[in-house]
Amino acid sequence: MSTLLTHIAISDGKIKRSSLEVLSHLRQQAEANGHDTEAVIIDQNASQYVDQVKEYGPSTIYTIEDPIFENHRNTPLLKALGQVMDEADPHVFAFGSTESTKDILGALAARQDAAVLSDVSEFELTDEGIKARRPVMAAKILSDSVAKGDKILVSVRSGSYDLDESSADSEVVNLDFSIDESDIKATLRDIIGADSDKIDLSEAETIVAAGRGAKDDEGQELINELASVLNAGIGASRALTEAGVMDPSLQIGQTGKVVSPQLYIAVGISGAIQHVAGMANSKVIVAINKDPDAPIFDIADYGIVGDLYKVLPPFIEELKKIKS
Amino acid sequence: MKFYVCIKQVPDVDAPIQIKDGNLIQDTDRMILNAYDASAVEEALVLTEEDDDSEVEVVLVGPDKAQETIRKALAMGADKATHIKTNGDENFDSGTYARILAKFFEDKEYDVISCGKQSQDTDAGLTGGMLAQHLDLPYATNAVGLELEDGNLIVKRQGDSGQEVIALPQPCLVTCSNDMNEPRIPSLKGIMQSKRKPMESVELEDLGLDESALQPKTEVTGYMEKPGREPGQKFEGEPDELAEKVAHLLDEEENVV
Ligand SMILES: Cc1cc2nc3c(=O)[nH]c(=O)nc-3n(C[C@H](O)[C@H](O)[C@H](O)COP(=O)(O)OP(=O)(O)OC[C@H]3O[C@@H](n4cnc5c(N)ncnc54)[C@H](O)[C@@H]3O)c2cc1C
Repeated sequence: MSTLLTHIAISDGKIKRSSLEVLSHLRQQAEANGHDTEAVIIDQNASQYVDQVKEYGPSTIYTIEDPIFENHRNTPLLKALGQVMDEADPHVFAFGSTESTKDILGALAARQDAAVLSDVSEFELTDEGIKARRPVMAAKILSDSVAKGDKILVSVRSGSYDLDESSADSEVVNLDFSIDESDIKATLRDIIGADSDKIDLSEAETIVAAGRGAKDDEGQELINELASVLNAGIGASRALTEAGVMDPSLQIGQTGKVVSPQLYIAVGISGAIQHVAGMANSKVIVAINKDPDAPIFDIADYGIVGDLYKVLPPFIEELKKIKS
Repeated sequence: MKFYVCIKQVPDVDAPIQIKDGNLIQDTDRMILNAYDASAVEEALVLTEEDDDSEVEVVLVGPDKAQETIRKALAMGADKATHIKTNGDENFDSGTYARILAKFFEDKEYDVISCGKQSQDTDAGLTGGMLAQHLDLPYATNAVGLELEDGNLIVKRQGDSGQEVIALPQPCLVTCSNDMNEPRIPSLKGIMQSKRKPMESVELEDLGLDESALQPKTEVTGYMEKPGREPGQKFEGEPDELAEKVAHLLDEEENVV
């Protein structure tokens, strides 16, 4: 029997849903293969999240609690992850693919001499390790990969698995942690534009995304109004984050975030492959674009060919009526 | 100051791709400098512009054919290059590339090593962090802005919610997003000059790596098409009517509003 360990990421005082998706999947894999499921929470208030993690049935929950984890910093996080790997000796250590995960995954693999597959959309255990499916070539195609060895790290795209609760009376193990500030060579000076009230795009049920077509003030106002009627998160194409019209954290696509909402409304977005790479797994896609040949229509479930300034006002009105 | 930029030649993802028996068939004439690496080169050039003593060197691990990509970086303005030669048909993974680069840097002196945050074809995003670990350097990934400040590299990185501003004491390593800048298009003069710039070739065998270090721990076993989406409906006509129709479809058919 080996240990399958999941990292539970905390962001803005909440567990990242992608971590619980990964834990749900790993527990199913463990049950099918006779392995043990464990989880680790590394945060300044790690113990606060233990009860919620128990709902997903790990046999052991490790906590590492220290004020140093208030904000993401790679040096202390790597030390803590190494410590829990020493303790739990996991065969597979799985992560939700957040920006914080992306920051440490390569370094952790090198430090632990582990095999690693990042940003997979599916994976399962095999006799030798894991096999995984990953989108490649700007998510135009899929590749199958295998990772072999006693120690395997894997990060999983958000929305890849459904949540599956199965409560357990997990054993909780608190690991002592200390780090000398002098061992942390990098200094975190500031965090700009973090807003815990903002809807987390990687978990949003509905996203309204704006592209170059909606660049001016009037376009932005319409986008905000549509998002507010639908209680949606707002996303953007690179054309708008690059132009400084939208916050860079809102970019969806190959460089930006990968999202998988129930409803994605692309307004004035052409549908370049690098954008589609981030949103093609949305359940229902609506595209509003004045160019009938725009590639976004190839993947849209509902396409409206038209000028967004003429389409959005009646669309918003109609949705208001439906919602009331 | 000395800047090393690690660059990679990748297939142009915009080019048509075919999959045959699980293998990827690509147009080998459409190989380009990885977009994220191009941003790393650009930023190194901008940061060292004012300093005559500074040097930007690019390092590429790849086959002979990848020299055209090295020339591109030299034409952009990098001062010199090292080409670590491979056959091009090896099944190296991110870990192998990181170990090769770590061996190369073992006896080098530098202030900053920068890389693209991921490569455009595989999107793995692992090599930079691995290299930093092997070289025991402070590092940051996904940089969207860089500044120099006596002895420190100030990195603005895009985190999960906000942008983290991190001071890295040099020597350090950073991986760059293409959100950082718009890489320059080489000028004709740049292209002419690039032909005279020094490019040192190193045979992989001569780096002195153990055979075991070249063994990948992961392997791609095949490629496949993505399951397509069901064809959708496209509406043209009066904006008011279309808006109303689609709003009701989303409510009644899809139940998503
Ligand atoms: C390595 C790499 C990574 C990248 N990563 C990303 C990424 O993460 N995310 C991303 O989005 N892009 C990314 N890109 C850029 C991508 O290739 C496109 O350039 C970008 O997505 C274009 O944004 P857009 O669709 O808003 O603009 P455009 O392509 O200019 O499209 C604007 C659209 O708006 C329509 N339009 C204009 N006016 C109106 C109107 N009044 N009413 C209705 N429709 C209108 C037009 O018909 C057009 O289709 C990346 C590129 C590279 C090379």
